[in-house]
Order: sequence, then structure tokens, then C-alpha cells
Amino acid sequence: MLAAQSISKSFTGVQALRDVSVTIGGNEVVGLIGENGAGKSTLMRILSGTQSPDSGTLTLDGKPLRLRSARDAARNGIGMVFQEQSLLLNLTVAENIYLGQEGEFTRFGLVNWRAMRKAALRQLGKIGVDIDVTARTADLSFAARQMVELAKALTLEDSTNCPLTILLDEPTSVLARADIDILFTRVRSLKARASFVFVSHRLDEVLQVSDRVYVMKDGLIVGEYRADKVTAPQLHEIMVGRGLHSGYYKEAQQTPPRPAVLLEAAGLGVSGAFRNVDFSIREGEVVGIAGVVGSGREELTRSLGGFLPQTSGSLKINGNAVRLASPEQAVKLGVGTVPRERRTEGLVMFLSIASNITLANLGSVMANGIIDHRRERSVAKEWLKRLRIKAPNVDVACRKLSGGNQQKVVLARWMTAGSRILILDHPTRGLDVGAKEEVYELVRELSAQGVAILLLSDTLEETIGLSHQVLTMRDGEITARFEAAAGQKPAQVDLLRAMV
Amino acid sequence: MTALSQLRDLPGVSSGALRNLAPPALLVFLVGFIALFVPSFLSVQTLTMVLADTAVLFILATGETFVILLGGVDLSIQALASLASVIVAQLLPSLGLGAFPVAIATGLVFGIASGIVHVGLRVPSFVATLASGGVVAGLALLAAHGRAITIEESGRGYTEWINATTWGVPNVVAIAVLVGVAGFFILRYTRFGRFSVAVGAGEPAALAAGVNVNRTKITGFAISGTLAALAGVILAARLSSGSPSLANQLLLPAIAAVIVGGTAITGGLGNVGRTAIGALIISVVRIGMTFVGVNIFAENIVFGAMLIAAVAITIDRSKIAIIK
Repeated sequence: MLAAQSISKSFTGVQALRDVSVTIGGNEVVGLIGENGAGKSTLMRILSGTQSPDSGTLTLDGKPLRLRSARDAARNGIGMVFQEQSLLLNLTVAENIYLGQEGEFTRFGLVNWRAMRKAALRQLGKIGVDIDVTARTADLSFAARQMVELAKALTLEDSTNCPLTILLDEPTSVLARADIDILFTRVRSLKARASFVFVSHRLDEVLQVSDRVYVMKDGLIVGEYRADKVTAPQLHEIMVGRGLHSGYYKEAQQTPPRPAVLLEAAGLGVSGAFRNVDFSIREGEVVGIAGVVGSGREELTRSLGGFLPQTSGSLKINGNAVRLASPEQAVKLGVGTVPRERRTEGLVMFLSIASNITLANLGSVMANGIIDHRRERSVAKEWLKRLRIKAPNVDVACRKLSGGNQQKVVLARWMTAGSRILILDHPTRGLDVGAKEEVYELVRELSAQGVAILLLSDTLEETIGLSHQVLTMRDGEITARFEAAAGQKPAQVDLLRAMV
Repeated sequence: MTALSQLRDLPGVSSGALRNLAPPALLVFLVGFIALFVPSFLSVQTLTMVLADTAVLFILATGETFVILLGGVDLSIQALASLASVIVAQLLPSLGLGAFPVAIATGLVFGIASGIVHVGLRVPSFVATLASGGVVAGLALLAAHGRAITIEESGRGYTEWINATTWGVPNVVAIAVLVGVAGFFILRYTRFGRFSVAVGAGEPAALAAGVNVNRTKITGFAISGTLAALAGVILAARLSSGSPSLANQLLLPAIAAVIVGGTAITGGLGNVGRTAIGALIISVVRIGMTFVGVNIFAENIVFGAMLIAAVAITIDRSKIAIIK
């Protein structure tokens, strides 16, 4: 039995796990659910040895366990199937399954590939799938790769005497329905050989495959249930928290949009990603787009930000037909993107707050072609005050700020640039509850000022709560439109139906 | 190596403080050290000579600073400097002063070409400039038929503006100061300068903020190429000769000057002032070696070691997981 006791872990300013205790019994499938940012992935990384807890202990069959690396975890029978698959696509299936364990097949420095292939075939046999072990992994479907990952985890059976625990981190998020069923059948049939921890935010799936379910929220375990004693709606309520009410998303501050259309897409498409997308955003309107991975909504936002040139249809900004060829062009037309990857794309982390705020509109602090550093600082100071950005001064590098304050700096930059259209790509990702609320408030403020906002969010609640209108996408097309005026928000189930 | 890393890990020694204070401190120490043995080193005459000898290296290193700040590296500067020296030496008799703009414009053109190869064809800058440097070196050899070209007595008058001394200050020093001040100003006060630092510090974020990354990079390479050619021209004037191998030993000291001065090899952090300190350190070390009796042929051994040490001490491994 693998157990975690009173695990806590924090990252610069964010408490990711608070006093978390879980047990995973032998031959048991344990579900772990929670929204993005609830701490599921952090817990998984601690169980798999890739991160160490600030406090708390792990035990294996009652004996204390210290994991310093994934290899340590593997030695103790803990394997992980990653959310972003860990396979090397340029290697063959067999090479991937035994990556790092080539020693078993090596004599006099030479690898016996034939033996490795045979062994790989045996591992795949345990799952009961028929995959060519000599195929390049890149040529496999995503679902098949998942099976290879699973087979890779099962090699631990041969290399350790410990009971096997396999951690599945969101294995279904990119799988089609039929493939999910296959995966579940495999997991159930493998229960005799191993225990599983199954992480997901899809409740019905978790209930379908698990024996027991833990619910996480804001870094805490907020519930533990036998899977046959609880229903999906119940779990959902616990997962999003009873504290959830319209006030959380500042619904009272939702102002109706104005008539002027700022952005209009007609038949917009990027080949291979999305097509026939028609929608418009009015002044002060928040349009949310809901969809699963692969729905095309990510590419749509990239395309509107100028990162991904459109290949069909037309786009109008402020009534003028445009083709966005670069972010530079989008920015000049007043389209600002708050990217999902805040650390790499959102801000130049090593640059000062002031430089980041003025980067998109340096002209506003220049005179005769020369940057006026004093003016730049005073503009930045103004924003620090207005957005309540917590920072010692405007000269500190952005990497020293907390996630919430970084996000405010990004917004300050777009306001300095005078952007009238904002693309918010998962604006609250990785933020704690308080910081999220501040972002929501800012979104309301911007909307009241007439800024048109396109919103992609981690959760449906957030999308519904913040938007005036929600579009759902599936397989690259818009499948439904929902009005979401304050007090008349659509139900999640209706959206879900149009998404999957 | 570990000793160097430990130096960085000492309590109270942040890599930032090390970067800002260590180079000037090292320069003062080196000058003091030499003066201890040779008190005349501190005479105005000797120090002026040191400055004049540093000018070419500093101008080369200033150009390189722009590219390194952008997160790249320009390996073509010594070839460009040599080609410029050949062009000046060849054209002086026929074009007179007109030979100088031609030589410097050649540097500009090849700098732009390297930049276009780098951003347009997405070739890493070290490969792009290694290759363009090879092309340039070959052109210099062809143009000069593989020989050094002496600037004859008749042409020397045209190099007066470089070799003369005005109010006791060698003109080369004045030119270097001019270049340095311009470089400092461009980086601190212009849009291009700010964009350079932003691209070097975080290219994806700069792109997302609407910075024209490609144009910024090409401009950086253009400046590097132009200054390399200017350095080559000055070198030709000082030595009264142009040669396809004139600047051949200058690439390593130029890059070392940038990095020893405290500009980060990873880009985004640094300025021309630091490069001035770095270039002086390299110069003083070179002179110091002759005083201490180290064979002057060994100077690049010392500069190579200094470059490695500077990078090893200042690079922040916590932010860069994999060094390729």
C-alpha cells in the first residue's frame, strides 16, 4: 500500500498542496479529481519522485519512502503515464518501452535489439494490444502511444519486487470515446497486477473506472468516496466548491455590450485546425469559447493573435478587412493577447516591470525618437497603483512577481498599448483563488470600458461566469452558441453536450 | 570548475552583483598589479597608448555586444574586418577617402546578409555567421590574391584622420569613444535598443508583445558587420597595410571582452559600458603578460581561459536546464 501523509508543497507564493493525505491500496483503482490548479498534478509529481514535498511523508507498506527522482520511484514500483506523453517520437516502440533499461539487453557494450523487441512484445501482450514494436513511435496514433506508455510502466514488474502502482495523469483528455473505453478495459484487466491512480477532471470517467475517489480543491483533499456511493453531480458540487455563486465571477458587475462590432470573423479557417468559424465580438462584450483539446479553439485564438495565419475566410477588425500575418500586426490593430504560457510568452521575465508595460507601445514614452525613462517609470507607477500590483518598485524584473501580479502587468501593457480587443488565453491558469478573483474584476472593468474580449478558460464555470456569450467548438467547428447574460447563465450540461 | 561554481554560491554573492562589480574590480586590480612592478605604467603616455591599442578591439566587441545581447553570436567579425582592410588598402590609391565608406558599407551589407540568413532561413546565428565569415574570408583572399597589400606612401595621407593625434588624444581613441557613446545611447534610448534587450531576454514574449523580432535581429547583425568593417579599416590604417588575415586573431578577444565585461552570453543583459571595461581588461592582460614575461604567442590561451571562466562564473544554471 502506497500512502502519502500530510503532504504540503508550495511554489513561489502559491500553496499547491496543503496537508494532503491519500492511500492507494493493493490492486485498487483510485480516482483523483479536481479542477485545473487544484493540485492534482503536483501530487502526482510528488508520488512519482519528480518533485519533493516541503513537508509530509510517503510510505510504502508502512515503511517510509524517500523519492529523489523518477528512477527512485521506479525502483519502488511506481510508474507514471504522463499527461504530455513522455515517449521520444523518433525512437521505435521497443526502444521507448525500454528507454533507460537498455542495460538488461546489453552484452559487451552491444545492445541485443532482438531480445529487446521480444521483451517489448511481451509487455504489450500484458495489455493485450497488437502494436508493431519496430514502428517509429511518431507513426502511431495518440491512443496507441498511450498503450505504449502503459506497457513501459508495466516493465517495472520485471525490475522490482515491490507491488506496482501506476499513475495515470489525465490519460483520457486527448483520447476519443472508443479509445477511452479500450483504456478502461485494459486498466480493469490489469488490476490484478497493479494499483492505479487515475487523474482526470471528467467525473463520469473517473466513476466508471475507479474503486475509490478523492476530490481535490485549492490544494486540499475535500472529499473521499467509494465510487459506487457517489454520483457525478455530487462530485461536481464538491469539486467546484459550495462557495461557488454568481458573486465569484462578479456577475453583478457584468455590463451589457455596446452595439459597435470590433471584431468579426466570417468563414474563418486555418487548414488542419478549424474552419467556417463565424462570430463577432462587440464593444464591451466577453465571448467565451468552450471546447476540449483538439476542438480548434486554441488555434483560433492563436490565429486572432497573429501567430497563426488564417488560410480561409475573412476577418474584420473595426470594420476593416485584415489578414493577420504577425503578432506585431495584430498589436498595431489593437489586438492584445494574454497568452497561456505566461512565463515564456506573457512577459519578458528578465526585464523590468516598466519595460514590460511599455513594450507594446514604446512610442507613448518616447520623445523625438528617444525613450524618456522618467516618463516610462511614472506610467508604470501609475499602473502599479491602479491595478494594485504588488511590487517593491517598477524596476524589478517581472520574474520576481507572483503569478497574479504578472498577469496584471500583462494587462497593464495592453491597456498602455490602447488595445481594444483582448484575447485572454487561460488568464487564470496557475493563479490562486484570490488572484483569480482580481483577474475577474479586471475583466469586468475592461468590459465596462468597452474592450472586446475573447476568453478561453480552464473551467466551464469560469467561461460561463465571465462571458456574455459562449460558443462551443468541436472538431474545428462551432457547434452551438449560448447567450450568457447576467442572471441567465446557461447550464454546463448543455455546453458539454455541444463540446463532446 | 567547481571552485568557480562555488564562488557563485557564496552567501551574499548574487550573480547580478558579480556581473556588475567584478569586471571593474578586476580591471582596477590588474592595473594596480602592473603598476606595482612598473610604476611608469600609470603615466599618461602609457595609459594613452593602452587606450589606443584597445580601440580596435573595443569597436569589434561593441558590434559583437549587439548580437550577443540579442541572444546570438557573430563569428564573422574577424573575416569582415580583414576584408575591409583589404578593400581600403586596394582602393585608397584610386578612390582616396572614398575607399573608407566603400569598405565600411561592405561590412554593413554582409552584416545584413548574415542577419537575413539567420532569421529568414532560420539558421542558428553561429552557423550563419560561421558560414558567412568563411565566404567573406574567401573573398578577401581572392581580392588580395592571398597577399598583404601595403598602403604606399602616397596613400598614407588619407589615413591621417585615423593615425593623427588631436590635442594629445590619439584619433583612434576619439573614434572608439564616439562608437562607444553611440552604442550606449542606441541601447538605452532607442526603440531598437529596447527591443534588442527584450528579444535577448525572452524572444517569444517580445514577439507576443508585437516586437518585430526579425527586423531587430537583422539590425543587430548590420551594426555588428558595420563596426567590424570600421575596426578593420582602422587596423589597416594603423598598420599601413591590408591583409586577408589581418584580424585573424581578434574574434576570441572580442567575444571575451564582451563576456568578461559582464554581458550575458545568453542574451538580454548587458551594455556597451561593460564591453568597454571588458576590452580594457583584455588589453591590460595582454600588456601585463609581456611585463610578467609570458610569451605573447600564448595570449589567446589566456583569453580562451578567461572566456570560459567568465561564462562559467556568471551563467545562471538554475534558469537554463540544458546547455547545448
